[in-house]
Amino acid sequence: MRRIFRRSDIRDDSARDVNDELRFHLDMREQEFREHGLSPDDARRAAARAFGDVSAIDAELRLGRTSRHRSVARRDRLQELSTDLRFAFRTLRKNIGFTAATLATLALGIGAATAVFTVVNGVLLRPLPYPDPSRLVMIWMSSKQYGEELPLSSGFYSDLAAGTDKIAQTAAFRAWRYSITSTTATEGEQLEGARVTPSFFDLVGIRPALGRAFAPADAEAGATPVVILSDALWRRDMGGDRAILGRQIEMSGQRFTVVGVMPPTFAFPRGAELPAGLQFGARTQLWTPMGFTEKERQAYATQNMAAIARLKPGATTPQFQSAITAILERWRLAVAPKLDLHYATTTLRDQAAEHVRRGLLFLLAAVGLLLCIAWANVTSLLVARTARRQREFAVRAALGAGRGRIAGQLVTENIILAVGGSLIGLAVSIWATRAMLALVPGSMPRADDIGIDWRVIGAVSVTAIVAGIAFGFAAATQAGFDRLASTLRDGTRSSTGRHGTVGRRALVAAEVALSLMLLIGAALLTASFARLQRVEPGFEPSHVLTASVVLPVPGEFNPARDGAGWAQYFRQLQGRLAHGAGIEAAGAVSALPLADAMETGSTATIGEPPPIPGKAHPTEYLVVEGDYFRAMRIAVLGGRAFAATDVADSPPVVIVNREYARKFLGGPPSALTHQIRTFFDFSGGRAVRQVVGVVENVQNGSLDAPVQPQVYLPEQQMNYPGLEVVLRTRDDPMAALPLLRREMKAADSRAAIAHPRTMQRVFDDSLARQRFSMTLITVFAAAALALAMIGLYGVISLMVSNRRREIGVRMALGARAADVLRMILAEGATIAIVGVAVGLLGAFALNRFVATLLYGVSPTSVVIYAAAALITILVTTAATLAPARRATRVDPTVALRSD
Amino acid sequence: MYTYVNKGYEVSVAGSDLFTGTLDLLVLKAVSWGPRHGYAIGRWIRETTSEDVIVNEGVLYPALHRLERRGWLAEQWGVTDTGREAKYYSLTSDGRAQLRAETKRWSRFSSAVSKALTSSPA
Repeated sequence: MRRIFRRSDIRDDSARDVNDELRFHLDMREQEFREHGLSPDDARRAAARAFGDVSAIDAELRLGRTSRHRSVARRDRLQELSTDLRFAFRTLRKNIGFTAATLATLALGIGAATAVFTVVNGVLLRPLPYPDPSRLVMIWMSSKQYGEELPLSSGFYSDLAAGTDKIAQTAAFRAWRYSITSTTATEGEQLEGARVTPSFFDLVGIRPALGRAFAPADAEAGATPVVILSDALWRRDMGGDRAILGRQIEMSGQRFTVVGVMPPTFAFPRGAELPAGLQFGARTQLWTPMGFTEKERQAYATQNMAAIARLKPGATTPQFQSAITAILERWRLAVAPKLDLHYATTTLRDQAAEHVRRGLLFLLAAVGLLLCIAWANVTSLLVARTARRQREFAVRAALGAGRGRIAGQLVTENIILAVGGSLIGLAVSIWATRAMLALVPGSMPRADDIGIDWRVIGAVSVTAIVAGIAFGFAAATQAGFDRLASTLRDGTRSSTGRHGTVGRRALVAAEVALSLMLLIGAALLTASFARLQRVEPGFEPSHVLTASVVLPVPGEFNPARDGAGWAQYFRQLQGRLAHGAGIEAAGAVSALPLADAMETGSTATIGEPPPIPGKAHPTEYLVVEGDYFRAMRIAVLGGRAFAATDVADSPPVVIVNREYARKFLGGPPSALTHQIRTFFDFSGGRAVRQVVGVVENVQNGSLDAPVQPQVYLPEQQMNYPGLEVVLRTRDDPMAALPLLRREMKAADSRAAIAHPRTMQRVFDDSLARQRFSMTLITVFAAAALALAMIGLYGVISLMVSNRRREIGVRMALGARAADVLRMILAEGATIAIVGVAVGLLGAFALNRFVATLLYGVSPTSVVIYAAAALITILVTTAATLAPARRATRVDPTVALRSD
Repeated sequence: MYTYVNKGYEVSVAGSDLFTGTLDLLVLKAVSWGPRHGYAIGRWIRETTSEDVIVNEGVLYPALHRLERRGWLAEQWGVTDTGREAKYYSLTSDGRAQLRAETKRWSRFSSAVSKALTSSPA
């Protein structure tokens, strides 16, 4: 008797169940054929042939097995899903070429888009890493003459801090470079410090991880100097020793007691998110307290500090703005009624983002186009593949699979593709984000805040799932279930309906259009960048080494007390450097051109009526020592450069640039006859300075900004404790760095160096933002064009293989290879031209978004549009060359015989 | 590539249940004498119909699973005489009732069609 038993795993493993059942059948049938005398191999083949398409039936049975439990239990639904998934994976593995192409395209599009979004998210969307960041407001001054985002003076800050304490907490801070002199590790290196009023840490809302924040007493005159260290500095220089608290370290010749260490993430103020002129480091490394004497509370002229407020609950920005405006008005009425000076407030978040917002959104739009192209390409691939799979679907429909079942399977496959592509894309984006930030070292605001967070993951997930469903439906629509029966009957190899072909062509034309728009954007930015690079900067950046050299300033900044020593140091240093090997000229300047560090002040011409406050001549001013003009090759147009004889007790002198001479002194020739007062010098404008020279204009601010009036004063007559040394060398400028380090120490062992780099590097860095946009959009445009080529290639290849019979007939009827070639190329060119026409319109419609990013190039430049259009047509048509040539090799006899 | 496509399929695809109904009926009949595995059912149909109904045997399995889903067949794994595991299908009481009803319907139907096909013009 047969023993019948219940197998408990029947329902648990439908795949095995089905597989075992079919295997049994095939084995038995094979045995039957062998009994009829077939060899084992022949028998196996005969059994399979008699059975039909094993894998199609196997798949169908599995799907049927799981779907019958649909309503039963969740566990079974999960099982159904896993069956779908396994089947989908198997199908995708079988078509490895298609799968790889799809995944690569998706990974490219999603990787690029995610990388840009990660940056946009970190810079524009993510809240600042401080508690309740929306209440943090930056306070600036602005005037028509001097511009926006001007710092405050101790006088203005003290007034507003006292007058707004009911609605806000305020703090002031300014950059201050220190050099640690007590540890050997970083000796002679400048550290990026900030002097802050005691409320600073409490206001920002971050407590030290170790020790305490500043107390008001720390900022009082005569208090023991104290310092709070950043986590990075503490770990690097003090080995992360927790016993550091209470210990003294010597910085810039003064002993400071360490009272705290901040948490690792805290580096505020971060240079890139504040106006560059304030000269904060990319990440602040240490903080010291700043207090004001009674005299400083009354000092309004020297505007050198940033101010921040935290609004109290209930207070609003407009309320705060009007309160500080009222305070300023009272002061102005009493002291300088004509002074053109106002307060402007902006949230810290906008402060960080405003200079890069437009550029980033432009890049986001560009990468969005690239993503659309990638999607169009994938959709096109899927549609083509679905067309090829119509027989498979027809058979499965015949075997009883419902439409929903097949559509569901398609959606599953496509979600796997979309999710897989997204995961690879996410991995690519991590690398791509780093590569993007490496293009703009140190100058991307909030670079610390850029990283993958829930917003990025969410955006990628939503994109992946929506794309997967959309792909699935696009393909399922193409599967055209109503036509399944006829597909089986008419036996065409792969029936691509007229409507499907039109759809694919439209998709590819759209790809061409979008890639042309990107290409035009890339060409405009590249042309603009080329223009910028050709701007005459007024100096010669090659073969110049620069570095900032600073003497320690113990206690308060007091040029009257210490200035003579500073001036003597730099004079001595210049003398030592000028005679160094390979040095052509040595000089120093208070602020390098194109380094975002210009100081501005006001001047007046002797002989003209004394200016009313606020109406003096505004100018950029620079303090120079040694052979600065020769070292930078700034042309002296008239008069002379500074000489060794221009010293503290010789007659005060000044050199002006061509623009200053033109604007205020009646032109370069007459300039030399004038004397001016400079209100920013430490004499407060008492000194009457003879104009002794006129020099060429220098693009100090940026290459694309109009040149400003500029005046130069000798270090010997306006003493700075720190200057940017400038060395013109005969060979590689960096080779002169050891000499500079050696001489700097030899002249005074307490001197510290920072930012050694070539002037060429400074010049290139000043274009970093433009280069960033240009490089990225060029990469996007190239990728887009490549995808459009692949898309067009795919469509034309499919068309050629579908029309083999027609081509065969034509050739049999006497068409020559050239005719066939022309016919196929014309098909491709038609798609390309339609795409280009649409793309030109699109680019024209969107050009105003790019206009603000351009310098010296019209956003509707006919030459650029025409060139981009021509390149697109040529490149995409070239993509159809291979399938067109294949068409010409169709053998009419073979083509006509094939089904 | 899809060699098992035949006229029978087209009929069923086109919406008629003629082929499906025929195959279902033969399957029910095949198990009416006791449990049988799929191969035995297929072999019985092949031999009794001189291989006219089924060209590709794989078609049988979707039918078996469909009938099982409808509750007309019950399936159980068992061991054959040669000691191999195989899935056996047996007729349920619903299935037996269905077989009786369908057999009656088919007889009426086929004799009616035969009558029509052999008749002379009226």
